Amino acid sequence: MTAADIGLTAPTGDLQAKPRWILAGLLTGPALYILIMAIVPAFLMVQLSLAHREVGGLWSPGFELTQYRQLATPLFARIMGFSLLLALTGAAICVSLAFPAAYFITRMRRRAQVAWLVFLLGSLSLSEVLIVFAFQVLLSTSGTLAGALTAVGLLAPGGSLYPNFPAVLTCLVYLLLPYVILFFYPALSQLDPEVEQAAATMGASRVSTFARVVLPMMRRQILTGVLLVVIFTFGAYLTPLVLGRPPQWTIAIHINNAAMGAGNLPLAAAYAVAVVAFMVALLVVTRLLSRRREAEA
Amino acid sequence: MNPDPATILRRGFLGLLALFLAAPLIVVLSVSFNATRRMSFPPTEFSLRWYGEFFGDHAWMASLERSLTIAGLAALVSVMVALPITYAIWRYQAKAAAVLAGIGGALFLIPGVVAALMLSAFWGVTGHVGRLENVVLSHAIVLLGIPLSLLMVGFRTIDQAQVEAAYTMGARDSDAFRMVVRPAMTPYILCALVFVFVLSINEYLIAYMVAGFTVQTLPIKIFANMRQGYEPTMCVAAVIFMVMGFSAFALMSKVADLPRLMGRTRPLED
Repeated sequence: MTAADIGLTAPTGDLQAKPRWILAGLLTGPALYILIMAIVPAFLMVQLSLAHREVGGLWSPGFELTQYRQLATPLFARIMGFSLLLALTGAAICVSLAFPAAYFITRMRRRAQVAWLVFLLGSLSLSEVLIVFAFQVLLSTSGTLAGALTAVGLLAPGGSLYPNFPAVLTCLVYLLLPYVILFFYPALSQLDPEVEQAAATMGASRVSTFARVVLPMMRRQILTGVLLVVIFTFGAYLTPLVLGRPPQWTIAIHINNAAMGAGNLPLAAAYAVAVVAFMVALLVVTRLLSRRREAEA
Repeated sequence: MNPDPATILRRGFLGLLALFLAAPLIVVLSVSFNATRRMSFPPTEFSLRWYGEFFGDHAWMASLERSLTIAGLAALVSVMVALPITYAIWRYQAKAAAVLAGIGGALFLIPGVVAALMLSAFWGVTGHVGRLENVVLSHAIVLLGIPLSLLMVGFRTIDQAQVEAAYTMGARDSDAFRMVVRPAMTPYILCALVFVFVLSINEYLIAYMVAGFTVQTLPIKIFANMRQGYEPTMCVAAVIFMVMGFSAFALMSKVADLPRLMGRTRPLED
């Protein structure tokens, strides 16, 4: 259905003039808001990354690549490499847990499904501050978990379960699982049960139906789910800060430290521009990958 | 009928998943009822002492009030921006509106720390620093993708035939709006408001980088507390978040068709 279809039955006299004025009235406010709060800050960040740094946290407009030269250092490569490693490990765990979970949830009865959705939405909205704090308590030396692990000899007495890489990873997986499950939910709920029934009547077992029929149909969603985890992990600040040591600090902490701690806004902006460029590159790669695979299928 | 192994496996998997997702919540909840000052789990003695201290403390209450104000206003702003955009897409298939919606959606995909840096640089340049409205406007723009997608789902549920029937009977745009669009959209608008409210009230990094030194929201105060040395009252603040979030979404499931809102279009029987 197009606008013209609906418009046909409306009075024809002012048909041409009317929508334009209405649209201007509807969209001027939102467009201005988006321009000022999204487009301007984005340009500002790019400009900032090229600006000249002054002492005392100040900067003056300029066009220099001083900050971008710092991106060519082994330190930056190491930070980005670690962030990507963390993100991809997290993505592998999240997707392999979230996909079957979403699959099972979409096949539940309405009441159970609604209960799961409320539970997932509730835990997804919880502040990262709160989750990080809860993990701190859970993993602390005096906690039950540490006690149990010490008792069975897996942990040295008085040893701590954080800060380290597994703690950061577990907390990130926790934060992301509800997002990824809810991301898979629409596509999996659209899946026609008859397709699976057809596979079953042809003698396929449930596991092979899942692996050969359901998974290939969801390739694009799975790749996008991975991208979602990567974007979130690169933006995560509190989790690596509290549950990790400096080697486990992701790019987000370094951006924040440059901006708030060292007062070097141009460097923070250059880091941020690099991160966004990296995300766009990943987006393009996933699009290409899913398109090619769909063409093969 | 005995459940087959596949069912047992499925239930076990979902049960473990639910336990994993509930574990931090159980920890925070039980620590908040613990009588001692030490941060320990499991708790030793039940007490409501920290709840009394939290609600009697001016600084905590001020933070709570600030967070509620910011979240309420941010929800209003982002829904007020998203509503005309989605209406223009639905009613007029306006390309300009689709572009605006595209920008709103793209913003949602920017890593949190980058959005925070962009907005803090923006407010720094305007010279309008450390104000409550900075956080409101920043949250509203970053979360804009949520009302955009929820309201789009809502508009798609409206029966076009019904709208056309209204026009053939000589209804004007305003009549059609009152009779068909408004009643159909009310639950979706409510859900969008609730969703943005809940995410805004829990947000830390943007609030901190935009106005954190002067506008101490609840997450900022909790985090400052965590760093400066533990105080059990912060658990009470955390419990307030949990209760608010879960009851908001439970309420939402009563007002609207939650599976549909989350993107299910295939009918679901009771």
